[in-house]
Order: sequence, then C-alpha cells, then structure tokens
Amino acid sequence: MSLEPIDLYDPARRARPKLTLENVSKHFGEGPETVQALSPVDMVICPGDFVCIVGPSGCGKSTLLNLVAGFERPSTGRLVLDGREIDGPGSERGVVFQQGALFNWMTVLENVAFGPRARGLANSRELAMHYLELVGLAGFAGRYPYELSGGMQQRVGIARALANEPEMLLMDEPFAALDQQNRELLQEEIKTIWRRTGKTVLWITHSIEESLFLATQVLVMTARPGAIKSAFRCAFSRSDDPFVSTTPAFAEAKRRILELLREETLAARQQEAAS
Amino acid sequence: MSASIPEPQARANAAPERRAPDAPAGPDLAASPARSSASSRRKRRERLLYGASCLSLLLAWLLLTGVAGLPPVIDPAFLPSPLEVGRAFMRLAEMGYQGHTLLYHFGISLFRFFAAFLFCLAVGIPLGLLMGVSGALRAVLDPPIELTRPIPKLALLPLMIVWFGIGELSKILLIVAALFPIISISAMQAVRSVSIKRIQAAQSLGASRAMIFRRVLVPASLPGIFTGVRVALGVGVTMLVGAEMVATSEGIAWMALTASDFVQTDIVLVGVLIMAALGYSLDLACRYLERRVVHWSGKE
Repeated sequence: MSLEPIDLYDPARRARPKLTLENVSKHFGEGPETVQALSPVDMVICPGDFVCIVGPSGCGKSTLLNLVAGFERPSTGRLVLDGREIDGPGSERGVVFQQGALFNWMTVLENVAFGPRARGLANSRELAMHYLELVGLAGFAGRYPYELSGGMQQRVGIARALANEPEMLLMDEPFAALDQQNRELLQEEIKTIWRRTGKTVLWITHSIEESLFLATQVLVMTARPGAIKSAFRCAFSRSDDPFVSTTPAFAEAKRRILELLREETLAARQQEAAS
Repeated sequence: MSASIPEPQARANAAPERRAPDAPAGPDLAASPARSSASSRRKRRERLLYGASCLSLLLAWLLLTGVAGLPPVIDPAFLPSPLEVGRAFMRLAEMGYQGHTLLYHFGISLFRFFAAFLFCLAVGIPLGLLMGVSGALRAVLDPPIELTRPIPKLALLPLMIVWFGIGELSKILLIVAALFPIISISAMQAVRSVSIKRIQAAQSLGASRAMIFRRVLVPASLPGIFTGVRVALGVGVTMLVGAEMVATSEGIAWMALTASDFVQTDIVLVGVLIMAALGYSLDLACRYLERRVVHWSGKE
C-alpha cells in the first residue's frame, strides 16, 4: 500500500517544523452574513515536504494558501514559518499563481529578476538567467510573457518564484489551465526541480493524479467550511518512473482518494441545494 | 486584382481551414504570429474599400457642387466646391485672415489646446494614479471631480471669462475643465482595475509599496490611461471651438466662426477641415504611441 494515513500534528512532526498552523481558521464577513471558509486547522509541514491539498471546489484550499502566503490574515490561530509568525506577504514564501500574474510589460528576464531586484541584489540578472535555464527558457529571456504559450508562462512564473530562493513554494493550481500533455511534462520538471533544490512545497490542486504523482503528503479537505478530512503519506513521488501513474498501486491510491472526495463533493452539492 | 484571387465569399469560407496548419503544432510552442495569406488579402481588401469610401465622399461633394460643367445641386454660397475651398486655403495661407497669418491662427489654437492638454497629462495622470491607490485621497477629490463632471463645460464659458478675464487663461482653463476629469478618472479606474494577483505576486516577491506602484501599478494602468487620453484628445478639439467663441480675435475656430457671420462658407470649411485634420492626426499619433508603449495591451 503506497498510501499511509498520518497525523499531521503528531509529536514527531511538531519536533521539526518548517511551517506550523495552530488552530488556524478563517471566516469572511460579519454577523449573520458570516461565511466560514476554513474550520480550525492544526498541522505541521516539515522541511522538504511536498504537500498537496486536494478538495472539492470552494472548500477553502485557496484560502489556506492565501493565509500561508500572507495575503489574508487568519480569523483565529497563528501560522509560524521557521519560528516567525506570518503577518503578511514575504519573499521567503514564493507564490506561483494559476495564470495571469506575470508582468506583461516586462521581458521574461525582467519578470524573473523582479524578486532579486526588489531585495536589492546586485546580481539579479545573473540569478534570473540561472533560474530561466533551470526551467529551460534561457532562449526566451528577451521575449514578453504574452508571446509565450500557457505552459511556458507557467514555467516563467515558477522561475520567478524560485529566483528569490524562498524557504517555501506555494502553488495555487499552477497547471489547472494547461492541457494534459503540457501538464504532465511540467509535473515531471517540477519533480526534478524539487529534488534538486529540496524546497518545501505547498501545492493546491483539484487533480488527484497530480497530487499522487508529486506529493510526499496528500491532504484531502472536506466541503465548506473546509477542514482536513484525511492526510496520507504518499510514495509515488519518489519513483523515477514517468509512467508510475499507470501502475495498479497508483490506481488503488487514486480510488481511495476519489472515494473520500466523492463524499465531500456530494456533501457540497447538498449544501448548495439547501442554501 | 489578379484573376487568381477567388471571389470574396469563397475566400471567407476557406480562411479557417487554411489557417489550421499554422496553429501551434506541439506543446510549448509560442503562439505563432504568422498570419495566413487569406487574412492579409482580406486586410488589403479592407484598405481598398476604405480608400474607395474616401474617394466617393469627395466625388459626392464634387457632384453636389457642380463639376465638369454640370450645374451645382447646392448653392455654392452654402456649400462651396472642394476646388473653391482649396483656393480659399491658398488665399488664406498667402494673405492671412483679419490681420494675422493662417499659421498664426493655427499656432494660437495649438497653443491653447496643448497648454490645456499637457497640463491635464502632467497633473491629471499622477493625481488619478494616486487616487487609485489612496482611499483617503479618493474620498477628498472624488466629490469635486464627480460633481463637476456632468456640467456641460461650455456652459462655464461666461463664468470663466468673468473669473479669469478675456486673456488666454480663461480659454485654457475651459479646455482643462473638460479634459481633466476624463484623464484623471481614467487613470484612477485603471489603477483600481489592476489584477489583484499581479499585486500579490509583487508583494510575495518582496517588493516595497513604492516599487509596486512604480513597476506594477503604473505600467499596468497605461492601457487604461491611453484610452482616456484618446477620448480627451477628441473632446479637446471640440472644446477649442467653444473656447474661441467669444473674447478673442485669433485662432482657427474663431476664424471659422467669424467667417460664418459673413457667409464666407469657403473659409468656414477651411477652418473646419484644419480642425478635423488636427483631431485626426493627434489621434493617429496617440494610437501610434499606444502601440509602441503599451505593446502588451489586449494580449493577456
């Protein structure tokens, strides 16, 4: 069995935290208008973890990512990265968005050099070039983002986040808008980059296959108000087989998560019908 | 047209099929800027039609005013022929109008227009950008701008003269009054519609507020600002006519307005055409600049 249930807040994990979420919840609005987006969450992400969060749409997985990124403040609880409480966006957390977050008025190189430049580094262009090479886009440094295909734009977004050499990478459904072939190639590339750099990654997706292929830990969220329904340790990301997703063990794991998600999707649908 | 070109209907139908092989062939290919020959032929045809439309307008004008010995349909006193207008232009260029050369009148009008326009650019754009980022500034400046916006600015002309005299200031301020809200509000709206994701991206890359403003908000707002500026150019030329209606004896619009009092319709038309040419060339220049500066506009 390649999926092994785990407790994300057990003492072993709490002993070596990269990111800790203590009783973190989020609601929007006031009084009777209040919408609970995220039920209290306790979890620890350890250094080098590749954590994928899957859940039905609207379950608050993006809210969770926005809290870690510092774009939103938690309603209760606190988030601690490397011993420091998160109180806003910061360059130690690189964010890759779904799409449309590149700066179209800058060349690809300037986009990637933006972070190092913002931090006042003198060698921002060399750094940017290095990360463009890492994502295989060195030849496109002088082009503008809108001249590139969707897959290439996402690679620029990844290089831009990496160029700041962040402690953690936050990815908000980065490949959701890409076609299947591009997505699979990029997933492999991400896996390679992750292994090479050893970054801690928090990855939001609605694709179960993507999460199983990439993650060291897969979290399944409940329907709104989102909470962590189950967490698994996952071994497929350690495989070098690009076709690991066609193995019986993978199918078995996928089925297990599908079942969990199906319950939640049905619950979400009932909620919608009731409201 | 050469005989090998198929008839228009057939070409329109064939176009999508012919374009298909040009589409990006594999993953990660940049969107191909290559255009099929069918679309370039369509462009050429549109340009031909454009030219034909211009020519037929001129032809209609010629026919209405009598050409090649035909009797004029409209009394030349009301609508002079293009040739007469051309002659009036030459006469004005040579002898001037009411004590000043044509170039002087044109220069005065240009000065009034550009003094107002450049002031609005220099003050209205930065102010609009700041209003876009500062809620406090917006709260303070929104009432004066929004409340005066619906006023037809031409109605302010008598007041302007009472307040600022019969000199250049009242004329320039009248044009400013019309252009300023257009330009500043378009800059404000442009800032406010910058995608939150781009701002968040900049924040998480460690950019300071000043850097986000300068390197993200301002460039991202440029397409919206250009739209406002182009609208303002058109309005500005219109307001020039208003500004030169009273209390002056100089300027192209004044020339046209004065000539109409003496039923010198050829001179009126010279003035009208000069202003049209001014408006058109300003718009062309602005469009050219827009293409160069905001090359990313509309290419999300």
